[in-house]
Amino acid sequence: MHIEIADLRRRFGRVTALDGVDLTVAGGMFGLLGTNGAGKTTLMRILAGVLPATSGRVIAGGHDLSTRAGRVAVQRRLGYLPQDLGLYPDLTPTEFLDYVGLLKGLDDRAARRRQAAELLDLVGLSDVAGRKLKGFSGGMRRRVGIAQALLGDPALLIVDEPTVGLDPEERIRFRTLLSSLADARTVLLSTHIVEDVAQTCRQTAVLAGGRVAFTGAVTDLTARAEGVTWEIVTPGPPPTDGVVVSAIARTDGTHYRVVSPQPPAPDAVLVTPSLEEGYVALMRSAAPAPVG
Amino acid sequence: MTALLAVARYEFRMQARKRSLWIAATLLGGALIVLQGDRGPRSLPVGTPAREVMGTWALLFAILMPLAYGMLLADRLVRDRKLRVEPLLESLPHAPATRLAGKYLGGIGACALPGLAALLLAAITELPKRHDPALIGWALVAFVVVTLPGIAMVAGFALVCPVIVSVPLFRVLFVGYWFWGNMLAPDFLPSLTGTLLTPIGDYGATWLLANGHTALFAGTPGFLSFLRPDPSAATAALSVAVVVLCGLIPLAAAAVVAHRSTRQTWPSKA
Ligand SMILES: Nc1ncnc2c1ncn2[C@@H]1O[C@H](COP(=O)(O)OP(=O)(O)OP(=O)(O)O)[C@@H](O)[C@H]1O
Ligand SMILES: [Mg+2]
Repeated sequence: MHIEIADLRRRFGRVTALDGVDLTVAGGMFGLLGTNGAGKTTLMRILAGVLPATSGRVIAGGHDLSTRAGRVAVQRRLGYLPQDLGLYPDLTPTEFLDYVGLLKGLDDRAARRRQAAELLDLVGLSDVAGRKLKGFSGGMRRRVGIAQALLGDPALLIVDEPTVGLDPEERIRFRTLLSSLADARTVLLSTHIVEDVAQTCRQTAVLAGGRVAFTGAVTDLTARAEGVTWEIVTPGPPPTDGVVVSAIARTDGTHYRVVSPQPPAPDAVLVTPSLEEGYVALMRSAAPAPVG
Repeated sequence: MTALLAVARYEFRMQARKRSLWIAATLLGGALIVLQGDRGPRSLPVGTPAREVMGTWALLFAILMPLAYGMLLADRLVRDRKLRVEPLLESLPHAPATRLAGKYLGGIGACALPGLAALLLAAITELPKRHDPALIGWALVAFVVVTLPGIAMVAGFALVCPVIVSVPLFRVLFVGYWFWGNMLAPDFLPSLTGTLLTPIGDYGATWLLANGHTALFAGTPGFLSFLRPDPSAATAALSVAVVVLCGLIPLAAAAVVAHRSTRQTWPSKA
């Protein structure tokens, strides 16, 4: 599903959460990065049709989201995992998926049940499919949330920080699953884990203070740190110039990776940057964005 | 339609599974059985018509049991937000009025279970003494005429009002209302007691008694006299209709508000 966003704004009282967002999401897996309060969730809620914008244009799959009809048309083909989703504690995962499936319009009972069972299997919850959600751990709830988003084979999947609270193995399994789904769909993923974007997305956008600070290929974001990513080895204190991205103590001293326009020390050497360093370089070069 | 039935079904299921519903209903129903005194249905002489016996039982249960329903239904709408399920529900393609109506129907269904169980239990325990199988039939009639309309009205208000006044405040106000508007003698203070609007089922029970006495205060002179016609089959039916419609008023208002907010459009230029 192709999404075209133009001059999108959303205010909450005095707070401007989105301040003129222009963005094109062409399809496949798209990563949304940004600091806390940058506006990622606000943008996703508008796209999911649960929050009206203050002004601006959003066309998703040919439907204008500023109208109720457009929102419903998109919602019929949407899978949405809200940030911090809660579940009904008095239902089992099977019942919860059945309920969401019914509300998504999956009328065929047998097909709905089959799909729910398959999805619970996919997220590794088959064993506890008949247990009340009340006793589930945070990661298990997350997986139920992921499973419900996949119900009805949505053309657009919006997942807001889906991997928070998952163990590393499950996180990797889930992001692989997402990117395999993205062949035939649009998957919009917001996360603070830059590595998840690096491993799964070709396209990405970075929000800062309600504006788009970067949008383009993941490799282009990484390239932002070329020529400004340094490594130094020192037994002494960390360098004071630039942003220290990593510090690993070894026998010959601590290895620091630093993003800085100038060499942080005379013996610093330029190294090949990672996406995380590209992100840091971008955030440093962006004007100190007022957050919130 | 699917969405409405889905919400009703799952709301019913979640509510009927609540232990607190059954515990509260048992405690209140049990207290009424034990403490009914010599004016209660158990003291009616053998030979009293079955419809009078069950009408008296229905009114007796209606004194306190709806308090439990009001308390328990008070969080049904609010809890979607509290449990953080709301953003997901709002992203699904159905009208918010559908969800509201489904919760209303499911909530009524769940509260009707202990209401019906109490009446059937009363009828069954009366059987050995009164040897009248019609007790069971009249238990069902009393359920429809006295118990169910009250539940429906309570459900309408208990779903919607807590959104405005908060759940704890609604519960306090509801208890106050219940005694003031259903049982306080109308010549004591201006009150809705004895009017067509009383969800306790005064008019319906008086029709069931059919003995020339009023069940509680139905039709007793007082404040808003046009709402106090003489009890009869017709006014009992009217009271059932009015009580049910009353409960639909907050629901309809909430549906209109929700509908407006989802229909909202926004300009493409600031
Ligand atoms: N319902 C709301 N009422 C008032 N302010 C809000 C509301 N929702 C969001 N905001 C504000 O809008 C801004 C953007 O919030 P948003 O949740 O979109 O950020 P985010 O990028 O998702 O952050 P995080 O990474 O912490 O999830 C914040 O300043 C936030 O306080
Ligand atoms: Mg967020």
